[in-house]
Amino acid sequence: MSVYTDVCTTARPFLGPATDKFLERQCKYLKVEPAALTKEHLTQLAWLSKNAASAIMDAAQAEKLAQKIGAM
Amino acid sequence: MRMTITNKLLLGFGGVLLLLAAVAAVGIYSVIRLRHSAQETTRIGDRLNSISVEIQVHNLEAQRKAKSYFLEKGKLGEENARATYLDEATFEVHEIESLASKAVQLAPTAEIKAKFERINTTLAKYEQALNTAVEASQHNAKGAQAQAAQASYEEAAESLHEIAEDGEIAGHDVAQTFQEEIDRTSKRSMTLAVGFSIAGLVLALAASFVLARAILVPVHHLREVAENVSMGNLDIAVKRHSNDEIGDLAESFTRMVTAVKFFRMETELAQAEAAGAGGGTR
Repeated sequence: MSVYTDVCTTARPFLGPATDKFLERQCKYLKVEPAALTKEHLTQLAWLSKNAASAIMDAAQAEKLAQKIGAM
Repeated sequence: MRMTITNKLLLGFGGVLLLLAAVAAVGIYSVIRLRHSAQETTRIGDRLNSISVEIQVHNLEAQRKAKSYFLEKGKLGEENARATYLDEATFEVHEIESLASKAVQLAPTAEIKAKFERINTTLAKYEQALNTAVEASQHNAKGAQAQAAQASYEEAAESLHEIAEDGEIAGHDVAQTFQEEIDRTSKRSMTLAVGFSIAGLVLALAASFVLARAILVPVHHLREVAENVSMGNLDIAVKRHSNDEIGDLAESFTRMVTAVKFFRMETELAQAEAAGAGGGTR
């Protein structure tokens, strides 16, 4: 399984059907193709996800999502 | 154990069932106890009562026969009077003795046992007084010694009569005691059954209230959230009230609202990009 698939699995309980689209957008901001995502990108991806998720969910949930991605 | 709605319902109904079982157990226990007490009353109380009455009858009969012996022995002769009356009186005395021993065996308390034991003690004195009176009447039919022995015998007979009466009262007391035991048991059982029923009712009401609250409060909240989302307000917060099926539903709803918000933002962004691109080509 690729890193991207793992991140999708981690983020799905928070984002549901929007998971793929949300993560694709964060990868776009990271300037990396989803399939090319590596563990080195995860800290930055967590930070980006937290910022983006804060707009669509409560801050505590966004923080939790970021922590889960960062801890992978 | 996770307190799901199913588990809460199972616990609630299980508790009510347990209480119902307790009420049934109290009922069964009461019936058994009451039956036992009633049987004891019939068996011991009535038996002691009838033994006491029998003792009285035999006592009166023994005294009547002894009196007849003293009166008739001049007319019938010593031998005939002895065979007709005295031997019969002695037989009655032995009957009393045997009945009193049975009563001692049956007596449920030491106090009642002592009362029936006193019959045997008094009976021995009665028998002795009777023999003395018979001997005195044989040797000195009208003398002072015979009169004294006769008086002593009558005193012993009166004493036996009183003691036998005491035995009769004791027999009645035993029946009364068991009757009181039945009353006490039935009152106690009634109190227990009513107590358990009230406790069951209170518990059932409390369980119903808690269950209703556990289900209705989050359902009302979710209905309010769904109403808001359906009217386009996605900024409403979905609270997770409990760690059960409704809590899971709230979580799924939160995920759904998050996704809807994201897709709406995406659409708005795409529209803005499209508008920007359109403006650029013009």
